[in-house]
Amino acid sequence: MISAFLFRGLAGRIAWVAAAIALIGILVPLSNLFLTPEHALYVPDYIVSLFGKYLTYALLALTLDLVWGYCGILSLGHGAFFALGGYAMGMYLMRQIGSRGVYGDPILPDFMVFLNWKELPWYWYGFDQFWFAALMVLAVPGLLAFVFGWFAFRSRVTGVYLSIITQAMTYALLLAFFRNDMGFGGNNGLTDFKDILGYTLQEPSTRAGLFAAAAFALCLALIISSAIVRSKFGKVLLATRDAESRARFLGYRVEHVKLFVFTLSAMMAGIAGALYVPLVGIINPGEFAPANSIEVVIWTAVGGRGTLIGPIVGAITVNLGKSWFTAQFPEYWLFVLGGLFVAVTLFMPRGILGTLSDATGKLKSLGSGKATALVQDPADASELRKEGEAS
Amino acid sequence: MTEETNQMTSALLYLDDVSVSFDGFKAINGLSLTIEKGEMRAIIGPNGAGKTTMMDIITGKTRPDTGDVLFEGKMDLTQHDETEIAQAGIGRKFQKPTVFESQTVRENLELALAGNRGVWASLFYRESEEEAAKIASILETVRLTHRANELASDLSHGQKQWLEIGMLLAQDPKLLLVDEPVAGMTDAETVETAKLLREISKTHSVIVVEHDMGFIRDLGVKVTVLAEGAVLAEGSLDHVSAHPDVIESYLGR
Amino acid sequence: MTLLRALLVCLVTLVLSSAAVPPSMADDLQDTINALADGSLKDRAEKVDALLATGDPKVVPVLSQLADGNLYVRKADNRVFLTESAGKNFTLTDPVSGEVIPDINKRTLDKIKANNSLRRQIRDGLSLFALNSPDPAKRLEAAETIFKAQDASALPAIEARLAKEQDPEVSAFLEEARAGLVLSSDASESDKLAAIDVLREKGGRQVLSMLTAAAEKGEGAVRDAAERAVVAIERVLAIWEGVQNIWYGLSLGSVLLLASIGLAITFGVMGVINMAHGEMVMIGAYTTFTVQQVIQSTAPGLFDYSLLFAIPIAFLVAGAVGFVLERGIIRFLYGRPLETLLATWGVSLMLQQAVRTIFGPTNKEVSNPSWMSGALDLAGLSLTWNRIWIFFFALAVFGLLFLLLKRTPMGLQMRAVTQNRNMASSLGVRTPWVDAFTFALGSGIAGIAGVALSQIGNVSPNLGQSYIIDSFMVVVFGGVGNLWGTLIGALTLGVANKFLEPFAGAVLGKILVLVFIILFIQKRPRGLFALKGRAVEQ
Repeated sequence: MISAFLFRGLAGRIAWVAAAIALIGILVPLSNLFLTPEHALYVPDYIVSLFGKYLTYALLALTLDLVWGYCGILSLGHGAFFALGGYAMGMYLMRQIGSRGVYGDPILPDFMVFLNWKELPWYWYGFDQFWFAALMVLAVPGLLAFVFGWFAFRSRVTGVYLSIITQAMTYALLLAFFRNDMGFGGNNGLTDFKDILGYTLQEPSTRAGLFAAAAFALCLALIISSAIVRSKFGKVLLATRDAESRARFLGYRVEHVKLFVFTLSAMMAGIAGALYVPLVGIINPGEFAPANSIEVVIWTAVGGRGTLIGPIVGAITVNLGKSWFTAQFPEYWLFVLGGLFVAVTLFMPRGILGTLSDATGKLKSLGSGKATALVQDPADASELRKEGEAS
Repeated sequence: MTEETNQMTSALLYLDDVSVSFDGFKAINGLSLTIEKGEMRAIIGPNGAGKTTMMDIITGKTRPDTGDVLFEGKMDLTQHDETEIAQAGIGRKFQKPTVFESQTVRENLELALAGNRGVWASLFYRESEEEAAKIASILETVRLTHRANELASDLSHGQKQWLEIGMLLAQDPKLLLVDEPVAGMTDAETVETAKLLREISKTHSVIVVEHDMGFIRDLGVKVTVLAEGAVLAEGSLDHVSAHPDVIESYLGR
Repeated sequence: MTLLRALLVCLVTLVLSSAAVPPSMADDLQDTINALADGSLKDRAEKVDALLATGDPKVVPVLSQLADGNLYVRKADNRVFLTESAGKNFTLTDPVSGEVIPDINKRTLDKIKANNSLRRQIRDGLSLFALNSPDPAKRLEAAETIFKAQDASALPAIEARLAKEQDPEVSAFLEEARAGLVLSSDASESDKLAAIDVLREKGGRQVLSMLTAAAEKGEGAVRDAAERAVVAIERVLAIWEGVQNIWYGLSLGSVLLLASIGLAITFGVMGVINMAHGEMVMIGAYTTFTVQQVIQSTAPGLFDYSLLFAIPIAFLVAGAVGFVLERGIIRFLYGRPLETLLATWGVSLMLQQAVRTIFGPTNKEVSNPSWMSGALDLAGLSLTWNRIWIFFFALAVFGLLFLLLKRTPMGLQMRAVTQNRNMASSLGVRTPWVDAFTFALGSGIAGIAGVALSQIGNVSPNLGQSYIIDSFMVVVFGGVGNLWGTLIGALTLGVANKFLEPFAGAVLGKILVLVFIILFIQKRPRGLFALKGRAVEQ
C-alpha cells in the first residue's frame, strides 16, 4: 500500500525533479572524490559543503510549503523544528567526541565539565547511540508540533494569530536554549564534533556522503509530499486552506488534518536540521531566532508556494544570492533580503514557479495550443493554477 | 408546547425554547421548532430575525445559552461540534456560496462525497466505480457535467450555488439546511432551483431559508415566520401572509 | 570596653551639665588636642576618648579630620591644625581659636595617622556626641548610626538622652535604638519582651536579622516573642517586596503599553500585522538621539528640554515613515494579512540596515535630562525618576489616544472602519485615507514610545526587535480592537513578568509568560476583551 502510495507521488514533473536531485546526489560526491582538481567537472570540497547545506535548506523550505502553501498554516516557527532536529544530532555528535574533548572526560561534553557538572543529565542518555539520536530527530520536533498543534488547532487559532504564536514558540525556545543550565551548551551551542558513525567529519568522503544523504532525504521528502498532495488528503488540505469552515460542515475534522500535516512537516524539518548540523559542524541557539524562521518563509515565497518544486528552487536561489552578497557587499544584503520580501509579496505573490507557469500559459494561448517546447504535464498546470488562485 | 413534546421521539429535528445572545443582544429568543422526517420547511423572516443564527445553532457553530436541540430524538446537538454534526447527517449550504474555489468542480464533489473522513482513509483513498458513477449523476443533476474539470472559481454565481447544492447531495445528509439558495439567481435559474429542491425533498428532509416569496410559493411547503429570534407564525404561505403579526413585522407599525 | 563605657557616661554627664565650656578649659582643650600628635596609634585611642570626654563641640571637626586623614601637626611647635588643601600648600585653621593661617608648605607639617579601628571609634563616639546636638536632624542621624552599630556600650547614653528628648521623632528612633541594644544585652526578660515589641513595630531587614539572632540565642518567652516578631516582620517585608514588584511590573507594563499601543491601533483598525512596528520605535529613539546631538551642539542650555522637542519630532518622523509604508506597500496587500506580515518584515530589515548604515552598528547613548535622573525614595522603595516619568507618560499617551478615538471626527471614522469597513465606505468615509492616517498615527505613537524607551535602555538598530514579540503578545492577549484590552494586557503581562522573575529567573520568567499566552490564546483565541457575535467571525 505504501509503495503504491509513494508511486503516485512520482507523477508528472515531480518524477523528473526527484530524479534530477537523486542524480545530483550521486554525481556530485563522485566528482568530488574521484576526479582530479584539474578536471573540468571537478566539484571542490567547499562547494560540496555549501550545496549540502543548501539541500537541507531546500528540505526545510519544502516542509514549510507543505503546511503553508497547501494548508494555509503560516508557521513562523519552523526554524524551531529544524533546530531541534539539529540539536538531537548535535547531542549524538557531542557524545561521539568521547575523551577527545579539551577536558578529556569520557562521558561529559566539554561545556558540562566547564560548568562543573558531575554527571550527565538524564536527557542526554541514549544519545551515544545513533539509532536513538535518529529517533529523537523525528520524535522531538514531532512531539512539539503535535502538542503545540493539538492545542492551537483544536481551539481554532488561525491566520496571523497562529503565525504570531508559532513565532512566540521559537522565541521561547531561543531564550531557553541560551541558558547554560538547560544543558545544551548555552550560548555556544554544540560544536567541535569529531566523527559521525565512525567517519571523520573533516574527511572529504564524509562530506560527500553527507551531501548524498541530504540529496536523498530531499528526494524522498519530495516524493512523499507529492504523494500526499496528490491523494484525496491533499484535496482536503486545499479545502482546509481555502474554506476551513466549509470543510468542517462537510464533516472533515479540520484540526486532525492540520495536526497531521503540521506534525509530519515538523518531523521532516527535524531531519533537515539533523543533516545540516554535521555539514556545518555547529548548532547553537541562534538557529531558533525568529528571523531565521521568517527567512525560510521568504525562500518558499520566492520559489512559489503551493508548488512542491518552488520552495526547493527558492531556498537554493536565495541562499546563493545570500552567499554572494555577504561576500561582495555585506552592507547591502539586508536591503536585498528586505526588498525581496516586499517585491515578492507585491509583484510576484506566486513566486518564480507560479510566475513562470503564468508566462508559459500565456505563450501557449498566444501560440493557440501549438507551443511544443513549453507543453507541461496538464496535471501540474492545473495544480499550479489552483495554487495561484489561493494566494 | 405539549403537542411538540409528544412528537419528540418521531421528529427529525427538535428545537425547544432556544435562546442565545451576543453581548446582550438576543439573537434567538425562546425559539421552538420541529421538523419531521421527509419534511421540507421554508423559513422566512425580516433581516435580523435570527435565521442564520438558528442554522449556526443547528450545525454546532454557535452554542445556545439555553434550550434543547435534538436530532433524531436522541442526539443533543448542543454538545457536538460542526464536524460531528455534519457526520451525523446534517448538511448546510451557506448564504454566500462557499465552494473550494481552487479545485475543480469534480474535486469539490469528490470532497463532499459521503465516506470515511479520517486522515488515513483520505491518504490512501481510491475512488470506486460506484463513487465515480454517483459523482457523474450529481453533475448531471446540478447541470455541471460540461464544466466538471474546470476550477470552481471560474463558475458563475448561480453555478456556484448549484455546485454547493450538488455537494450537499454528494454528502447525502438526512437533513439539509439551505440558506438563501436563489440569492443572485436569474428568474429562470430560480425556477430550476425550486424544481431541484422539490426533487431533493423526496429523499431528504430540507429546511430552506429564503426571502424570495415567489420562490417559496413555488416550493409549496409549510412556512415558518421568524421575527426577533422567535417563531411568529407557522402554516401555509397564504395562512402566514394573512397573519396580522406577520404583516406588522414585515411592514412595521 | 568598660573603660569606654565609663568614659561615655562621664562624657554624657559632662555634656549635660555644661551648656558652655568655661574659658579656663580652652587651654586644656588645646593641650589635649595637641597631645594627639604624640605617641603611637594605640595611645591615640585613649586620647580620642579623652577628647570625646571633653564634650566640647570644637572637638568634632578635629576628630572627623583625624578620621579623614586631614589633621596635621606643625613640626615647628607641635601644634595641631585643621587643614584644607589650597593648591600645593595648605590653609591651616586652629581648632580652638579658629585662627586661619594661609599658604603653609606641606613639608613643615606632619600628618596625624589613623587606622580603621580608630576611625570606627571616632565615628561611634561622634555619633554619641551628636546625640546631644541641638539640631534634631543630627540627633536622628546619630540614633540611626548607633542602631546600626549595635554597640551595647552606647546604651546608657541613649537612655540618658531619651529621658530628656523632646522631639517625638527622635524619641521614637532612640527608643528603637535602645530596644536593639537591650535585646542583645543581658537585660531582664520583661525588658527584652518590651524591646521586641518596639523592634517589631520598626520592622525592616536589620531588625529582622537582630530578631533572628535573638530568637536563636534567647529562651522561653523571649524566643517565642522574637520568633513571632520575625514572622510578622517577614510578612511586612514580603508585602513591601510585593509592592516593589508591582511597581517594577507596572513600569515594565507601561513600557510594553507604549510599545504596543500603536500596534493595537494598526492591527485593530486595519487587521494589519506590522512587523516593522518595532522599527518605528527604533526610529523614535534615534530621532531622540539626533535631537540631543543637535541641541548639544547649538543650544546646550536647552538640553534639559531636549525630550520635549524630541516627542513631536519623533512622532512626525515615525508617522511619516508609517504613512509612506502604508501608501507604498501595505495598501496593496489589504485582505492578505499573511503577505502584509512578510512585506513589513522585509521593511523592518531594510530600516534596520538603513539605521545601521547611517548611525553605525554600535549602541548610542541618549542621556537623561536632569529631571529624569536619580531616584525617589519612598518608605522601603527606591523608584527611579525615569521609570516614574515613563509610567505617567504612557498613561498620558493612552489617555490622549483614547480621547482621540472617542471624541474626534477622525476617531469616529477610525472606529467606523474598524467595525464595518464596507458600511463606512458606503457612508462616504474615505477608508483609504483613514487607513493611511491610522497607520501614520500608530507609527507616530511608536515613535513617541521610542523617545521614552531611549531613556531606559540602549539605542541600537536592534532596539525594535526586542520589543516586537512582546508587543504582539500584549495586543493578542488584550484582544484586538480594544484599547482597554491593550492597557490591561500590557500592565498584566508586565506585572506577571516581574512576579515570576524572583523565583524563576528573568529568562525562565519570560518563557513562562510566553507559554502562558500561548495557552491563553488557545482558550480565548480572540484575547481578553474580544468582540462576540456573527459579524466578527466573518
